[in-house]
Amino acid sequence: MVTVAPGTAGPKTPAARPASRRRRGIRPTRGYRVFQAVNAVVLTLVVVVTLYPFVNIVARSLSDEAPIIAGKVNLVPQGFNLTAYRLVMSDPMFWTNYRNTVVYTVVATAISIVLTTCYAYVLSKHQLKGRGVLVGVAVFTMFFSGGLIPNYVLITSLGMKNSIWAVVLPNAINVFNLLVMKAFFESLPVELEEAAAVDGLSTYGTLLRIVLPLSKAIIATMVLFYAVSFWNSWFTAFLYLDQQDLLPVTVYLRNLIAGATGAQSAGGVAESDAVQAAATIQAVTIVLTTLPILAVYPFIQRFFVSGVMLGAVKG
Amino acid sequence: MFHRTWRRVAIAAAGLLTLTLVGACSDDAPDAKDLDGNRAGAMADYGIDKQFKATEPLSFPILYNNHPNYPLKDDWLFWSELTKRTNVKLEPVAVPLSDYEQKRSLLIGAGDAPLIIPKTYHPAENAFVSSGAILPVSDYLDLMPNLKDKIAKWNLQPEFDTLRQSDGKFYLLPGLHEKPWAEYSIAVRTDILQQLNLQIPKTWDELYTVLKAMKARYPDSYPYSDRWSKPNPGGELLSIVGAAHGIRTGWSWNPATWDPAAKKFVYTGATEQYKQVIVYLNKLVAEKLLDPESFTQTDEQARQKLANGKSFVIGSNAQTLVNDYRPDLAKTLPNAKLTKIPLLVGPAGEINPASRLENGVMISKKARDSKNFVAMMQFVDWLYYSDAGQEFAKWGVEGTTYSKDAAGKYTLNPDVDMIGLNPKGSKHLQKDFGFGNGVFSYGGRLDLVQSFFSPEEMEFQKVMNARTPLPVDPPAPLTDEEREQASLWETPLKDHVIQNTLKFILGQRPLTEWDAYVGELKAKNADQYIGLVNKAHERFEKDNG
Repeated sequence: MVTVAPGTAGPKTPAARPASRRRRGIRPTRGYRVFQAVNAVVLTLVVVVTLYPFVNIVARSLSDEAPIIAGKVNLVPQGFNLTAYRLVMSDPMFWTNYRNTVVYTVVATAISIVLTTCYAYVLSKHQLKGRGVLVGVAVFTMFFSGGLIPNYVLITSLGMKNSIWAVVLPNAINVFNLLVMKAFFESLPVELEEAAAVDGLSTYGTLLRIVLPLSKAIIATMVLFYAVSFWNSWFTAFLYLDQQDLLPVTVYLRNLIAGATGAQSAGGVAESDAVQAAATIQAVTIVLTTLPILAVYPFIQRFFVSGVMLGAVKG
Repeated sequence: MFHRTWRRVAIAAAGLLTLTLVGACSDDAPDAKDLDGNRAGAMADYGIDKQFKATEPLSFPILYNNHPNYPLKDDWLFWSELTKRTNVKLEPVAVPLSDYEQKRSLLIGAGDAPLIIPKTYHPAENAFVSSGAILPVSDYLDLMPNLKDKIAKWNLQPEFDTLRQSDGKFYLLPGLHEKPWAEYSIAVRTDILQQLNLQIPKTWDELYTVLKAMKARYPDSYPYSDRWSKPNPGGELLSIVGAAHGIRTGWSWNPATWDPAAKKFVYTGATEQYKQVIVYLNKLVAEKLLDPESFTQTDEQARQKLANGKSFVIGSNAQTLVNDYRPDLAKTLPNAKLTKIPLLVGPAGEINPASRLENGVMISKKARDSKNFVAMMQFVDWLYYSDAGQEFAKWGVEGTTYSKDAAGKYTLNPDVDMIGLNPKGSKHLQKDFGFGNGVFSYGGRLDLVQSFFSPEEMEFQKVMNARTPLPVDPPAPLTDEEREQASLWETPLKDHVIQNTLKFILGQRPLTEWDAYVGELKAKNADQYIGLVNKAHERFEKDNG
């Protein structure tokens, strides 16, 4: 739902400009100017295409029901009203599930960051014996998994079903993130750590006082990656949680939309009930669900670009 | 991004499930008749029209399909009153409606399924039969007097035969209707009919004339623009036009059609009736009477066209008429009048295509080993099949939620609302009391099924009930290996049929190529497939008389 791709391309263009201004004497070639124009047009189109559906949803959430049905709502709300917001916000289950999502995201992200950092830091040390095996174990899980039913049996017999741990512990380490982080740690100058060791810091001291302060960019990036994926995820929660007051808001949203569109599969239900969630209600729930995670983006984005780059260039 | 992950997980799940199902071997079942160790809590004298009450407090876990419109609440009167009447406490395992089927597969595959598994639509239970996780309920009908009584009284044996597996048993306890309940038809703008001095059409041919007149008056419109094109294009439209020709297609697609004259099955997509369906719809599209987008557009697009007066006819059921179209039109075209008309009649005559079976309940095999097994079957029988149980699940408690007059007419109490009957009511029958819940309440006696219908819908049902029910095809249950083979043949066949149906109807392929198309079906093993079905049918006849 929250995509990263087009945004990351943006900051490159302003960065290019001061460089060209410095060489004031040389005019940019014609080819370069054409390229810039095309670039701007294409990127603008990409932005429009990416933004349009979201703006449309926001407009719908603020609109009256009639113009939506008539297909008149595009970018600007028609017949502005907030009834749907009031309606959604008055459902206690929505807020219970919303709180769950926040709690799950915060706890899961914290656990993931701690585990991933520790694992990645260890793996970045070339002198570690059995390093290849440890990397192999992690990478293996990228390609093979026990599958749904064995996983379910595992979680159940560990007694984690219907608890927060079923959501935050499995998949706590994302192997892709682990490898990015490992590459980043490998790129740190080894002399820094040697100096710290000479000054008497233990391994943990080095990690906490020297390495981590230098790794804010990559950690911010990882927090963003993890937080977004936990915020959006619904499948693990759906698998392991049987009580609706434990579910995250994503499952609530999914059920709401399915209830509105799945009238035919619910034939028996439709017999006596047909009050389907109106288009505005869906839009409002979508807006309220995506808003917080969207708000996080602008603040972390600057770290995000440099963070991934730092890990990636290491050759 | 997470959509792709989901799909990968789903594929992994499907693959694993298959492995698990193949891997699990059926253990030796206990002797079906020996129930001496399973009678704890059961009533010795349970019978028809007798209130079930367990002799000791019992609790049974149940898989619960959680509907977003009336989310599960623990303090529903339904739960407490149920326990008061039956001494049974249900422990719901709540699953969101959006992914109920998936969770059900997972729980059954993991051996963690609750004992009672409702909301299963035939043939979904087939997938679980070979694993041995589901109880062959047909062995235990003696424990369920109300169910047996209704099968006999309403003459439902042929319908039940269609549920049988190749071992001659069935594994699903379906919901029952006294009369077939036709839901889907088309809705027509009667104000336009009046304006053009036309009668409400009764047959598909009359509809053609009506559409033509509408087109002549409003040349810019497509008079008929339909919805419900998912999961297969033109799902509902093909289904009702097909029914009028005596075949099951579209949503109700059934690849094998019983030919009573030849006493064997034939492939639906190659029949003469199927061709007639295509020819008819092709005519509508060619003369621009039917919107070609009917087969692909979303429901919302179809609704918008109707609301904006760009179309005058649309597929409908009782709910969409009242909840979608009329409110839409009231906002955009206040003078418009829309009516759901009785299902149009075609060459097959005046028939009612609806089935008398509903979705139903599966029982986990684990229940058989429980000492409360007999009590549980009696409980299920009372709740789902007794008149008292059905009335309770649908209407609630007399005096609290509803009242009933001498003629048997139900009325909601004034402060209880349901489908807008008491808009001022402070409480909702489903949301606040838990009655009229799709998990527990469906089907039943005609007067019970219709007790919530508006006078208008009653009128529609009266016409439909006067018609002959579509005869049920004889059973032809496949064995596991056969089913696998059949689906290998049937999947590409169905794709080919759907693709070419659209091409023919939309005029992308000339109808003169019909014979070539039938040849293509043969090349894709249509004959082998039908041979398999016929063989299964003969085997069933031989084994079961």
